[in-house]
Amino acid sequence: MILQGKRVALPPVPVVHRRFEEHVAATPDAVAVHRAGRQLTYAELDAAANRFAHHLAALGHGRGAKVGVCLDYSADLLVAILGTLKAGAAYVPLDPAYPSARLRLLLGQIPGLALIVASPDTAALVESATVPVVDLAELADELAELPATRPDVPVTGDDVCYAVFTSGSTGTPKLTAVRHEGWFNLMEWLRLEYGLHSGSHHLVVSAFGFDLSQRALMTPLFCGATQYLMASRNFDAMLAHRMLKQHEIRVVHCASSTLYLLVDWETARGGDALARLDYLLFGGEPLKPERVLDWARRPGTTCTLLHQYGVAECTDVATSYDLADYRPGDHEVAPVGRPAHNTDIHLLDERSRGVAPGEQGEICISGAGVGAGYLGATGPENEKFTTVVVDGAPRRLYRTGDRGYVTEAGELVVLGRIDAQVKVRGMRIDPTDIERALGRLAGIREAAVVVTHTGAGEAELTAFLVPEGDDAPADDELRARLLETLPRNMVPARFVTVPRIPLSPHGKVDRAALAATAQPAGQADDRNDRDDGEDSDDRRQRARHLVPGVPAR
Amino acid sequence: MIADSVHAIWCREFQRDDIAFDDDFFALGGQSLIMVKIQGAFIEELGVEVTMDELFRSPTVASISAYIESLDAVAP
Repeated sequence: MILQGKRVALPPVPVVHRRFEEHVAATPDAVAVHRAGRQLTYAELDAAANRFAHHLAALGHGRGAKVGVCLDYSADLLVAILGTLKAGAAYVPLDPAYPSARLRLLLGQIPGLALIVASPDTAALVESATVPVVDLAELADELAELPATRPDVPVTGDDVCYAVFTSGSTGTPKLTAVRHEGWFNLMEWLRLEYGLHSGSHHLVVSAFGFDLSQRALMTPLFCGATQYLMASRNFDAMLAHRMLKQHEIRVVHCASSTLYLLVDWETARGGDALARLDYLLFGGEPLKPERVLDWARRPGTTCTLLHQYGVAECTDVATSYDLADYRPGDHEVAPVGRPAHNTDIHLLDERSRGVAPGEQGEICISGAGVGAGYLGATGPENEKFTTVVVDGAPRRLYRTGDRGYVTEAGELVVLGRIDAQVKVRGMRIDPTDIERALGRLAGIREAAVVVTHTGAGEAELTAFLVPEGDDAPADDELRARLLETLPRNMVPARFVTVPRIPLSPHGKVDRAALAATAQPAGQADDRNDRDDGEDSDDRRQRARHLVPGVPAR
Repeated sequence: MIADSVHAIWCREFQRDDIAFDDDFFALGGQSLIMVKIQGAFIEELGVEVTMDELFRSPTVASISAYIESLDAVAP
């Protein structure tokens, strides 16, 4: 089963900063970036980026070099990114919202790291670096001496433009590299498919370390529009709504969980700045449509909501779906739609054979977006980049590890992770299927299901529940209701009420943290024994203290 | 006193009543979803807009209350 994206010719040298430079030539006085009342025009941003590129070139940093960028959202951040690209090098976002210990770990994993751009506000975070840390403001006099014209550096579509860290299910961050051609193809597809233009001003709301933030940062500059940046290191729904009200912002890219917060804010406090955007593009985690559909279906909501799917390894976005087409009765899970231009989705079985239409398989991606792989990888992870033969021709392909199927209408649906599947009493189960079933029950706000083990070492399922009110429905009632929709083996053995589901730094459910809170195996035998002297309140209280939080993003 | 109102909001959003004025938000298991709710409650109940950056910089009932009081002091 192959879902084929439209073939659209790219320029002979699909290099991202060249498109920005075309806008510089066409509209030099247009505003490129706006932050806290300060603006830079396209010409000013270009000149500053050219000077930084000359600076890098003079130090010998060009193709193959990596420039770490540890800055808050600012005009300097765009100068650092564009200057790096113009020098032929690639940038690596170092998110200043990360703790310095985390950044130290990441810094050690960047092959070819040449230098780091930081500011007085962020320099302490990267003081462990063994490469020079520069501050553009401090370099100002030196940079002013350098030419404001473009450096003569040949860059190809196959060169790496950025590399981002992906957390990976093992928790070990991996640095995955994206090529100019892929990034160019992504933004050219968004521009053509959704008609983005020089009035499609953006606001960035996501954390810098995210792959989607790279797209959110560059797309307006790719389209000749203005980039609005918030003077905030942490996501701030209040400030975001203030910016949306004050400026002619038309497009916002974010993680689905961030969308919920933006929608909740507007629903609770009124206003329609979010509802009147041209586009909201979101994804990165399973969508909970109930969190947005009421708002989306209000008459005043004219914004097109694009539910997207992709992986950092293949340049961020691979498919897109207009949520207006979603009828909850048709599919349990909201589809993620059709492929981007020059992108194919393959659904393969365990032996790399295509599955039949409608059947489940591993989602694999081929086409322009397939990245340059993991940098400095020594483990087996690069094997996920492979080659398949389609119609006699070899195609480079990335196995995402995600499980999905294609609907009759030709839309991709993502169901979960292949490696999240667990065997419980001989049956392959994906806990996310159970989470969805729990989430549909009245009285349950959120649910996370993890595999725990009994004292006898037998795998069983434990559901962590966040109730709508003070108390979750009784265990027996939950089981009875789940049995109406799930096979017996998929009904959790235990239910634990928690005040919230712990999230990883990237906002995904932290299953490892939950599993760790489940009772150690030796004590697990009390699961069917309610006479252990512990009432449900004690249980709840204990779970509350045991569930660790993580610093917010 | 503002600190009492802030404390009441924290207790409600954390769903527990044993929070001390100098307990750290993150040590209590706090994360951004709770912070957003606290931020909203400050607007609705205290009439003050506090940015997320400030909430993260002042992660205790005592320190964020002191910050809010400093806002009142400069308000007209």
